[in-house]
Amino acid sequence: MKLLFVEDEPVLLDEMLSYFSSDGNICEQANDYGQAVEKINTYAYDGIVLDITLPDGNGIDLIPQIRTCQMGTGILILSAKNSLADKVNGLNLGADDYLTKPFYLEELSARVNALYRRKALQGEENILFDGFTIDTAGKCLMYGTEEIKLTKKEYQLLIYFVVNKNRVVSKSAIAEHIWGDSFDEADNFDVIYVHMMNLRKKLIKTNGTDYIKTVRGLGYKFVS
Amino acid sequence: MKLLSRTIINYFWLTISVLLVSGFLLYGFLYLQIFEEIKEQLQLQESMVAKEISQGRKVNFPLVKTEAVPIDRLMVNPVFKDTLIYDNIQKKEEGYYILRQPRLINGQVYMIEVMTTHIGWSGYSRAILYIFIFIAMMLTVVGSGMNYLQNRKMWNPMKINLKRLKNYSVSSGQKLEMESSGIDEFKELNGVILELADRAKSEYSTLKEFTENASHEIQTPLTIIQSRLERISQFDHSPEMAGYISDVKQAINRLSKVNKGLLLLAKLENKVFPDETFLDLAELLKKQLGQVDDLIHHKEISLNIDIEPKELMVSASLMEILISNLISNLIAHSPKGATAKITLQKHKLSFENSGNKLPFEESKLFKRFGKNSPGKTGNGLGLPIVQQICWLYGWQISYSYAAGYHIFEINY
Repeated sequence: MKLLFVEDEPVLLDEMLSYFSSDGNICEQANDYGQAVEKINTYAYDGIVLDITLPDGNGIDLIPQIRTCQMGTGILILSAKNSLADKVNGLNLGADDYLTKPFYLEELSARVNALYRRKALQGEENILFDGFTIDTAGKCLMYGTEEIKLTKKEYQLLIYFVVNKNRVVSKSAIAEHIWGDSFDEADNFDVIYVHMMNLRKKLIKTNGTDYIKTVRGLGYKFVS
Repeated sequence: MKLLSRTIINYFWLTISVLLVSGFLLYGFLYLQIFEEIKEQLQLQESMVAKEISQGRKVNFPLVKTEAVPIDRLMVNPVFKDTLIYDNIQKKEEGYYILRQPRLINGQVYMIEVMTTHIGWSGYSRAILYIFIFIAMMLTVVGSGMNYLQNRKMWNPMKINLKRLKNYSVSSGQKLEMESSGIDEFKELNGVILELADRAKSEYSTLKEFTENASHEIQTPLTIIQSRLERISQFDHSPEMAGYISDVKQAINRLSKVNKGLLLLAKLENKVFPDETFLDLAELLKKQLGQVDDLIHHKEISLNIDIEPKELMVSASLMEILISNLISNLIAHSPKGATAKITLQKHKLSFENSGNKLPFEESKLFKRFGKNSPGKTGNGLGLPIVQQICWLYGWQISYSYAAGYHIFEINY
């Protein structure tokens, strides 16, 4: 993927760039509104992550410009201020998704990837790893020609992990991803564990590889 | 007791006591006057009788007695007194005044006794009493009535203002207006209240601005801390180090939740939500329940769902927050194996779950950070947010605990 990150906070920008670059994406950055306008008008991107509060302008105003020159680009807004109104305005203007700061990078990655599949690849892309095929249109997992039955949550988890592979993902990030903001209580981590174990068993049963590692105290890691 | 009733009652007792005192005074005064008149009349009569005798005429007249008495009786003092005389016609004893006086007429001492009736004294006193009772009644009933009506009119602006004040909230955008009154004290009060309201409002907006600004300013550093922590987690750590990192991450997560919640609450008070649409509540409820069915299943909660279609003109994102907060609350506070029920009807939405009684006061339930032991479940803002959303749309939300069930009910 070719991605543009419009963000004025250097640390956050660095985090996003290094995270997405490590996945083999081509990442570009814009630190302010002016730079962003320039990049948008010069290059085409598969996805744009847009911070709304920029030192010299409002990120929301960039959305119509992006839409006029790059139809198929997925736009994800990062909002800090007035999150609800920004979300509504942004989505009305043509943004595809939004995240409120602070957010988990894994969540951003999951959203950007989903956007990429939906927008740039028109939902046709299958995610491949180690002989497995995740059919995102049919929402199922294949190994060769054999279908591996997954529950809805296991499927969600698997995509999340594959998109964030080789990275330690915390339990609260997972909880937030599969149930939403209100359900990341420690109580519910047991349920994640159950889903995780089931998914792990199913994958081991299929090709004998244990993909999901528990990182003590920190979360889980999908190794492939 | 109402001020109006109090003044009426005071007025009533005052009237009664003034009337009683003046009634007694009138009675006594009249009594004395009449007594004097009768005495004068009897003296006149007696002197006329004495004159008759002195002219040698025999006095033989009803109610007049003359008697020749020894000379030494001349020294007896005249007597003026009451007596009872039997009245043949009315067949009863009647009160009379008697004047008995010795007189020396032509060398002979006569004891002259004249008398007259009380000239219907009892009738007079009764008449006075009746008249006074009548006056008392008129004064109290008509007077109190007049007083009441007049006072009510006078207090009316005050009552209207009181009602407006009750409905007034500094957080609402509307301006407080007071009904004017011709009474100086009320005018002064109105002025003071308006000033107070203005001051409260400006202090409130300062405070709100501060909360919003603080929350905004906190967001970016929080994002940095969180993403750096995620980066740190990617390295290999000793179990001890991993524990520390995990603790910090949990704290940051909690802080960011509180921050988001506070920001949302501040926004909720602004009442500007651009994404209002006709929303199918039943659909939303089913979708959200479907999303957490594994959580419900894991806690072995037997959930009974009774949902009727219901459309409301609301902000979709706020409704999502409201419903997910209520579901999250229900799951988090249901013990393992609890029974729960979610009902959606035309005018109400209720969430019920079995569980032990609240270990704290019910009134703290909807307060921000109301529970004293935070950390275990929730961030202390879930229910306050729910309540604020309900208020925004003018819905009633109530909590009750009945037959072992916690019940949250929203009436719209």
